[in-house]
Amino acid sequence: MKRYGVLLLLLMLLTGCTPGTVEENASIPLRVWVGDNADVAWMEQVVRDFTAANPQRQYAIQIGVQNEGDVSKIILADVESAADVFTFADDQLNDLLIGGALMPIAEGAEAVAAANIPASVEAATGPDGLLYAYPATADNGYFLFYNSAYITPGDAATLESLLVRAAENGRKIAFPMANAWYLYSFFRGAGLEMQLSEDGVTNTCNWNAADTPITGVDVLSALLEIAAHPGFIEADSDAFVAGIKDGSIIAGVSGTWNASVAAQVWGEHYAAAKLPTYRVKEQQVQMASFSGFKLVGVNAYSAHAGDAMDLAAFMTGYDAQVDRFTMRRQGPSNTAALSSSEVQSEPAIAAIVAQSPYADVQRVGSKYWDAAAALGKIIVSGNPGKTDLQTLLDNCVAGITAPADQ
Amino acid sequence: MNARASTKETALRAFGRGDIWVKLSALVWGAGCFARGQIAKGMLLCLEEAAFVLGIGLTWPFLMKLATLGTVQAERIWDPVTRRNVWNDYDNSFLILLFGVIALLLIGGFLVQCVRMMRHARRSQQRVQAGHALPRLREDAARYLGQDFHRTLLFFPVSGVTLVMILPLIVMILIAFTNYDRNHLVPTNLFTWVGLDNFRLLTDLTGSGAFAHAFPRVLGWTLLWAVTATLSCYFGGILLAMLVNHQRTIAKPFWRTCFMIAMAVPQFVSLLLVRNLFADVGIINTLCKQWGVTDWLYQIGAIPTANVIPFLTHPSWAKPMILLINFWVGVPYQMLIATGILLNIPHELTEAARIDGAGGLQVFRHITLPYLLHITGPSLISGMVNNVNNFNVIWLLSRDVYVTTDQLMAQAGATEVDLLVTWLYRLTQDQSNYKMASVIGILVFVVCSTLTLVAFGRLTGRGREEAFH
Repeated sequence: MKRYGVLLLLLMLLTGCTPGTVEENASIPLRVWVGDNADVAWMEQVVRDFTAANPQRQYAIQIGVQNEGDVSKIILADVESAADVFTFADDQLNDLLIGGALMPIAEGAEAVAAANIPASVEAATGPDGLLYAYPATADNGYFLFYNSAYITPGDAATLESLLVRAAENGRKIAFPMANAWYLYSFFRGAGLEMQLSEDGVTNTCNWNAADTPITGVDVLSALLEIAAHPGFIEADSDAFVAGIKDGSIIAGVSGTWNASVAAQVWGEHYAAAKLPTYRVKEQQVQMASFSGFKLVGVNAYSAHAGDAMDLAAFMTGYDAQVDRFTMRRQGPSNTAALSSSEVQSEPAIAAIVAQSPYADVQRVGSKYWDAAAALGKIIVSGNPGKTDLQTLLDNCVAGITAPADQ
Repeated sequence: MNARASTKETALRAFGRGDIWVKLSALVWGAGCFARGQIAKGMLLCLEEAAFVLGIGLTWPFLMKLATLGTVQAERIWDPVTRRNVWNDYDNSFLILLFGVIALLLIGGFLVQCVRMMRHARRSQQRVQAGHALPRLREDAARYLGQDFHRTLLFFPVSGVTLVMILPLIVMILIAFTNYDRNHLVPTNLFTWVGLDNFRLLTDLTGSGAFAHAFPRVLGWTLLWAVTATLSCYFGGILLAMLVNHQRTIAKPFWRTCFMIAMAVPQFVSLLLVRNLFADVGIINTLCKQWGVTDWLYQIGAIPTANVIPFLTHPSWAKPMILLINFWVGVPYQMLIATGILLNIPHELTEAARIDGAGGLQVFRHITLPYLLHITGPSLISGMVNNVNNFNVIWLLSRDVYVTTDQLMAQAGATEVDLLVTWLYRLTQDQSNYKMASVIGILVFVVCSTLTLVAFGRLTGRGREEAFH
C-alpha cells in the first residue's frame, strides 16, 4: 500500500522533533559573550579563576563570541534570549538603554566607580546617573601613529607639517574622514558641539553655527583644503592596513586594532602620539576625539542577574584586566592596572592617555552617523556639487538632529 | 432529492430546513452524527471542535489587546534577597500581534467549520430521509485514502504554508501600520498602531522629507537596474552562445568550459573578489596609477580626486561598474540556456531562410530571436523580478565601501546604489526600523507583481502559442 507509506512518511515528518529530556542540574547556567575569537582564551582563564574563587556555588558558564562593535543589534533583536553577560563598545550604551537590555549595577556600584578611571565610569553611566555597565578596557579611542623614519615628533604636532612631510616623500597621511566617528574630531576641536539631547534619543548640534569664534564654514573650508592636499588620503580600515603594508601610508589616525599592524610593519620606527593640531581660520586648534571603552553589561532579562553581576564584576576586576593586558595588549580602565609601568610604556596606551584631556565620552543619537558620514564623503570628494558650504552644513545638521522616529 | 442536489442548498437554507440536530451541529459539531448513530465520528468532530476552542481560548487574551497592542509597560524590580530581577506581567506588543492574528485565523477557521458541519449534518439528514445508509467510520477513512486522497495529502502542505508563510506574511504586513522601530523595541517598550503614517513618510515632502526624497530615487534605480541587468545578461548570453556555436569557431567545448568555470565558483566568492580588485586600494587602482590612467582621468575631469579611480565609491562610477560586474557574473548562465535552445532551432527554418537569400542578421531578427523569446519569455520575466530583488550583487559590492554624498538619502539610511531590497535590509539590520522596512517590503511586492502581470500579459499574449507550430 503505497498510500499508507506516504501517510506514514508525513506523520514521521510531523513528529520528527521529539521533545528532549531536560537534565535536572543544580548548577547555575550563565552565558557570556566576548567580543573576539582572540578573547576566548582570556575568558576561559577568567572563568577558571571565577569558579575557583566561588567554590560554594556551581556554575555552568558558556562562552560565546559576538563582535562588541555591533553586539547591541543582536541583543536587541531578541533581548530575552541574549547572553546574561556581554561585552560591548561604549557607543552602544544608549541603544541598549533605550531597548531596556541593561540592568543598573545593583551591588557594589561605588566600588566599581572608584576602581576605574573617571572617563570610563562616565561612559558606563546612563542619563539617570546610574551605573549600567562595568568598564573593561580604556583603549578603544583613536590617536595618531607614525613611522619615525620619515616623521619627527615635532612634525607630528601639527597636521600641516605631517602633510608637508608626507608630500615631500611622495607618501600619505591617512585619516578616515568619511567616517562619522573620526570626522567629529575636527568640529569638536574647533569648539563646535554635537551631542545627545536630554531626551536620550535625538542630537543637538551647532556645526552650522555662524556666530561662534570659529564657524562651521571655517572648519569645512579647512577640511576641504586638507582633503585636497597631496599628502592626504582618506582611508577606511582596509585601505589603511593596505597602505601601511605597501609603505604608501607613513602616518595616520586610527585605533589599537590598526596600530598593531603598524607596530609590526614599522618595527622600531613605530611611534604613537596624541592627535595633532590643525589650522583653521589662521590659528592652530587641537583635534578632539571620542574616547572609547569596552564595557561589560548584565542582561536585565537574565534569570540569574545576581550571579551574572558577580561574573561581570570579576571579569572587569584588577586581576582580569591585568590578564587582559598581558594576553591581549588591551589597555586597562582599572586605575591600579593602568598605572603599572609595563602598561604605561606601551606607546598606544601612552598616546591615548595624552589624548584623553581632549577626548569626549561618546553620547550620540543614532541619526548622527549617516548624516555626518555623508558630509565627510562630500569633503573627501572635494564638494563635487560645488554646493554652498553653509547649505551643506545646514543639511547635515538637519540630518543629525532629525527626530529619531523617521 | 438526492444528496448531490442538496449540496447546492445555501447554508442559511440548510439551517432553516434542517431538523433540530442540524441546527445543533452548528454549535456542537458532532450533534448531527450522534443523532444518526455515527458515534465515533461524532466524537472525533467534537474533539476537533475542542481543539479549536482550546486554541482560541489560549490566544483570546492576545486578541483582546490587539486593538491597542498592549498597554502594560515592562517594569523591573531588583530583589536583593534572591538576587534576581522581578518583572511585572508586562505586555509584549509583538506577541500580541502574532497571537492576535493566530486567534483571528482560528476564529475564521472555526466559523467556516461550523457552517460545514451544519451542512454535513443536513446532508446526512437528507440521506437518511431518502432511505440511504450513512457511511461508517471505516468507509469514511477509506474515502480519505481513496477518492479523497488528494485532501489527505494536501492537508500537511496547506497547514505548513499557513503556518510558515501566510501567518508571518500577515504579521509583517501589519507591522507597516505600527510604529515598531528602534525606539519601540519589544519587550521593554510597546509599539502601537499608527495607521497610514509610515506610508505618508514616503510621499510627504514637508518636514525633513528624507524618505520622500530617497524613495523615488531608490525605486528609479531599482527599475533601471532590473531592466538593464536582465537585458544585458540575456542578449550577452545569446550573442556569446551564438559565437561559441558558430560553424567557424574551433574548440567549442573548450570555450564553453571556460565560461562554465566562472559559473562553478559561488557567486558571492567572485563578487567579493571583484570588489577587492576594484577597491580604492585594490590592484586595478594600483595598476591604473602606475600606468598613468588615473592621472589622465583626473586631467580630463572624469574623477574627483587625483589619488584613486572611485570604481565602487562614486555614484556615476559605481552604477555602471555594478552593472558590468553583474554582466560578467550572469552571462555564462544565460549562455548555457541559450546554447540549449539554439541547438533546438529546426535547421529547416534557417536553411530555408538562407536559400531565400536572408543574411545572417535577418535570420537572427526573424527566426532566432523570436524563437528564443518565445521559449525564454517567462524566464526573462522571472529574471527581471529576481533582479529587482538581487540582493547579493548590490550588497556584496557596496557594503562597507559605498558612502553616499546625498545628504537627504543618508538621513533615510539609503544610498544611490541601493535597491529597494538592500535599503530594506539596511533599515532592519542597521537601524532596527522595522516599520519602514515593512512599508518598503509591501512596495517591492507591488513592483514585482506589476512587472510580472504586465510582462506575462505581453509575452504570452493570444495567438503566440501557435507561432512556431
